[in-house]
Amino acid sequence: MLETRETRELVGARPEADAPRAEPPRHWPLLLIGAAVVPGTAVVLLGRWGDAPAVQAWRTVCLAVTVQALPFLLLGTALSGAINAFVPERVFTRVLPRRPALAVPVAGVAGVVLPGCECASVPVASSLIGRGVAPAAAFAFLLSAPAINPVVLTATAIAFPGDPAMVLARLLASLATAVVMGWLWLRFGRAEWLRPAVRHTGHRHGGSRLDEFRLAFQHDFLHAGGYLVLGAMAAATFNVVVPRSVLDTFAGAPWLAVLFLAALAVLLAVCSEADAFLAASLTGFPPVARLAFMVVGPMVDLKLIALQAGTFGRAFAVRFSAATVVVAIASASLIGGVLL
Amino acid sequence: MKRILQAGLLVLCGLGLLHVSLFTDLCLRYVKEGMRPLLIASGAVLLLLGLAGAVIDRGRRDHGHGEHGSEGHGHGEEGSGDDGHGTEGTGGHGHDHSAVPRVAWLLLLPALSLLCYAPPALGAYTAARQPPKPVAARSDFDPLPRTSPLPMTLSDFTSRVQQDRAQSLKGRVIRMTGIVTPRGKGAGGGWDLTRIIINCCAADAQSVKVRVYGGPALPADTWVAVTGAWHPGGKLGTRTAPVALDARTVTKVHRPTNGYQDALPLG
Repeated sequence: MLETRETRELVGARPEADAPRAEPPRHWPLLLIGAAVVPGTAVVLLGRWGDAPAVQAWRTVCLAVTVQALPFLLLGTALSGAINAFVPERVFTRVLPRRPALAVPVAGVAGVVLPGCECASVPVASSLIGRGVAPAAAFAFLLSAPAINPVVLTATAIAFPGDPAMVLARLLASLATAVVMGWLWLRFGRAEWLRPAVRHTGHRHGGSRLDEFRLAFQHDFLHAGGYLVLGAMAAATFNVVVPRSVLDTFAGAPWLAVLFLAALAVLLAVCSEADAFLAASLTGFPPVARLAFMVVGPMVDLKLIALQAGTFGRAFAVRFSAATVVVAIASASLIGGVLL
Repeated sequence: MKRILQAGLLVLCGLGLLHVSLFTDLCLRYVKEGMRPLLIASGAVLLLLGLAGAVIDRGRRDHGHGEHGSEGHGHGEEGSGDDGHGTEGTGGHGHDHSAVPRVAWLLLLPALSLLCYAPPALGAYTAARQPPKPVAARSDFDPLPRTSPLPMTLSDFTSRVQQDRAQSLKGRVIRMTGIVTPRGKGAGGGWDLTRIIINCCAADAQSVKVRVYGGPALPADTWVAVTGAWHPGGKLGTRTAPVALDARTVTKVHRPTNGYQDALPLG
């Protein structure tokens, strides 16, 4: 009698109690087999094709974009996790002006403090919104941070020696674009375009802050990393498929040159610390077009669109990127026309 | 995505980065030398994060039995997702259908590629499809040392051929290293000595080229050291002069570690 009851209890208890515990062993072999089989099959299936020079160049560029961006993405996600877990909401309400219209330019100028590539700014902007910062101000920060930080401005000064007007023009045009986009969002933006950011809950009473930081960090990195790889693949495709020699055909007409270099900046997805060197080498193009390349590049490119779509939602990324390109080209043309 | 798989993915990414930056110098095929400390740090952070996740989350799961209330609360934080199906409510049933969407699996590709199928450095294919990188305008050229053959970078050679009014290259034997980039049939055949230069990562590669006359026809992407004299044509020191070399000797060399710079040949 006693025995049967115990058995029944055991049987009854088992599925509930052990199911979660049994999960890791069930999936670990899958992962390991995947890790062992995927590259092997890839080699066998692709065969010679994988070693064709074009495919090798594609893989190299794709991996290069990913590897180059990963440290900055980590920095951004760590910062975003830290903001989420450690910075109380009242800090932002105290630092930023109450009225969003004033908060936008302040946030735009605050972009100076985040040194690094554009990949770092997307998760940070997302966590700022989660901490109660007005989306318009967060977007101004998102756009200005990768373009006007000291690292990028120094790189620009090195790439254009003896041409400080170019550095100034880049600073002003980028800042203007960021602020105008923030105001545009205030006027026309709709909250339903944004994916509801339920994840960033901030510090919860009773939870371990360190644990919250770790989980937000891990989540953000995996999430954004996947989209980064997607963007890197697209950028590598254009990098390899479109030969650089096509460029010279557009260098003649100034307006066409501006539009063409802006489009090139979107497609190539060169990191904002390096795009000045690339712009400097496009000697056939007028300076305004090169400025447009440097203003558009850090704000809109394939990997950023992928990252934004992942973080804020597709409806947002499409509208926001399209509007940013237009504003950036207009602002680069205006400021470049005056200064250069 | 299950927690343990997330941890595994992080560990793989970390190992991949450490493999190419700390244990080997494969990362120099993709990024500049200066990025290396950042890559090592990132690899270490990812590895630690993954290991910590695996250990802590497992510990919590074992610990959490019996006290269902806290378990449910704990998952409520992570379970609330942003990819559509995760709402605050899903945390209640103690599962971790995590908020991380499937796109995160794409990270497996670069991680595995770094670990076991690292693509080679950019080479002739890229160089052949690019116009040569324009050299900066210079007016003052230092007198050349007396050594012969004289080691020189491809950029220095290019600017001296086309801009040095003093014609310092006249009658000198030059030594340069780079990769072989065959010229297409339309470009007159033969090959260019090439160096690929990157500013940040391989996506912004540019190339400098010197046309080589004479010498054996080597396969593309071979690293060679070439000695020879300027190939006459036009007026030396002006734009009319061809950036070309009459090769006397062509020898194979190993790829230098700083293969993405236009550096002086050693020895």
